[in-house]
Amino acid sequence: MKQSISLTAQTDTTQPGAIREPLTMASRERSLWGDAMRRLVRNRLSVVGLSITLLLLFVACFGPWLAPYSYTEQDLMHVAQMPSAAHWLGTDEIGRDLFSRVLYGARTAALVSFFSTSVSMVIGLVMGALAGYGGRWADMIVGRLIDVVMSIPGLLMAALIAVSLKEPIVSWAQRVYADTGFPLFADTTWLDLLVVFGGLAFIQWPGYARLIRGQIFALREEQYVQAAKSIGVSEMKIAVRHLLPNALGPVIVAMTFSLSSAMVAESALSYLGIGIKPPQASWGNMIASNIGSWSYRPWLVAVPSITLAIVTLGINFLGDGLNDALNPKSSKSI
Amino acid sequence: MLKYTLGRLAIAVPTFLAVLFITFLLTTLSPFDPVTIMMQQYEGTLDGMQQKELVQRIRNQYGLDDSFAVQFTKYLQRLAQGDLGISVTGQRDVLRMIVKTFPVSFQMGLAGALLTALIGIPLGAIAALKQNTWIDYTIVGTSLTFRSLPVFVLAPLLLVLFVLILGIMKVPRGWDGLFQTKTILPIAILMLGPLPVVIRQTRQAVLEIFSQDYVRTAKMKGLKMWRIVVRHILRNALIPVVTTLGFVIEGLIIGSIFLDNIFAIPGFGGVVESAFRGFDYPVIMGVTMVTSLMIILTNLMVDLIYPFLDPRIKLD
Repeated sequence: MKQSISLTAQTDTTQPGAIREPLTMASRERSLWGDAMRRLVRNRLSVVGLSITLLLLFVACFGPWLAPYSYTEQDLMHVAQMPSAAHWLGTDEIGRDLFSRVLYGARTAALVSFFSTSVSMVIGLVMGALAGYGGRWADMIVGRLIDVVMSIPGLLMAALIAVSLKEPIVSWAQRVYADTGFPLFADTTWLDLLVVFGGLAFIQWPGYARLIRGQIFALREEQYVQAAKSIGVSEMKIAVRHLLPNALGPVIVAMTFSLSSAMVAESALSYLGIGIKPPQASWGNMIASNIGSWSYRPWLVAVPSITLAIVTLGINFLGDGLNDALNPKSSKSI
Repeated sequence: MLKYTLGRLAIAVPTFLAVLFITFLLTTLSPFDPVTIMMQQYEGTLDGMQQKELVQRIRNQYGLDDSFAVQFTKYLQRLAQGDLGISVTGQRDVLRMIVKTFPVSFQMGLAGALLTALIGIPLGAIAALKQNTWIDYTIVGTSLTFRSLPVFVLAPLLLVLFVLILGIMKVPRGWDGLFQTKTILPIAILMLGPLPVVIRQTRQAVLEIFSQDYVRTAKMKGLKMWRIVVRHILRNALIPVVTTLGFVIEGLIIGSIFLDNIFAIPGFGGVVESAFRGFDYPVIMGVTMVTSLMIILTNLMVDLIYPFLDPRIKLD
């Protein structure tokens, strides 16, 4: 008896695929993602946001080849110059080309935001799943942990982590290099990035954990999940086939927004002198080192500020567009 | 009610202890030797023997050679007595540094919070009442824009715009009390951080209440629109807005970290910034603790007054 039911369940899940084939040939059916894409492209602001995000990615990948100068190259004859033909955005107080530094800064911004967002998403996914599936105690412990992390202002927490952990990690890397001569540890500037990733991932995971836990609890009550459960589909299969695809939309939207907030947080840390240190280019440390001279060299502080503003705005517009495109129900129910 | 209060406290107190533990753990993990940083200012004034002796004396004074458990217990004991330690750079009492700068930041923050409420709530309500019109889109779009811009981007850009390009103000620097023209720009920038949160929450709440039966009844019996808004909608919509208070406080504190130095305001944020720049551990721990305490207390307060505002909430 039970076997026959699970057999029908199996045929049910394979059948739509078989039927779908001729339908798509007739180009009548729209897939979920195609539909979302259409809604996204219809929204003008989100197209602008998408273009800015793609431009950022492009510059982050190919910036070093696009940049007319190196980010450390000093032109001591032309220090603190206004924008000109030779230096499109001018030069900074020690004669480095501002345009090139902005391009290199894009690489830092993109690296930090993409990595820290992915890492925090994975931590949040694990913690959220633990809270959702691990029973009452696991839920309570994860909940308290989230409370603790959230009651420290994110920026202070990330700064504290960066300040405290950077030196131990760098000295460890130097020891490893001295012992083994492993070439990866010869240059420790990338550890700056690593520590910032870690700090940002640590402050961002609670958001994802809450989101995923909430999705698990909400979707569990849905009738199609109840139906799947009643015909004996395994918990694992329900998670993969029903919960995951449904939770994916909100998670993608949250990830887009946290890309921009991670970028702002990285700039903030670099501004405070804890994140990416000069001469490495970061928009935050460029703003910090030129903010004192805003009244007589305004372009030095305006260029990185405006760049950061445009990029974060673009990503947020994209996030808003994705929210409307992927979660159409949420925007209509208002 | 007593049970509910105790329950909330039972969550808040361990949370605060955990915060203390995490900050303390992080600061001890770092091999940054505060004494070495401290000795840099005496560089060259002492010979080797004297210096070693002095270093040892300072290490004993701060208890740096004790085990972790001993150090943490001692730290908690000192905290209970209101002793936050002495700053590494400058040898000043951390509690006094915070207490001295607090009034300035408190005035700025209070002004910022009041303005956030006075501007954010009407804007949120208007956006909701004009839902899906250009007014709604403008309000929501502008607030989204300001949500994405950090203080250290807004401040220099607005300074360049107002002082250099438009020339409508002198360089606003320093602090001569709250009611001075030079506090207008910093308070406005400070407010822009938490403002979008309040606008969003108000808009959401008003939209929800707009579809309630009692609002429909009020409309049907012919009440004027402004009367419905003030009497029926705002009264109920303001309740969920109270929950954003924690975010508002956090936004104001974080904003002031960047703002104080740019505008030369002698506030709490400036202490935080210079502590991080100088790796001044006692100060870093002090300000992190005070900030977290403020956020935890605010959330506790919101939790405790919420049942009075909304009697439907069950006290479990």
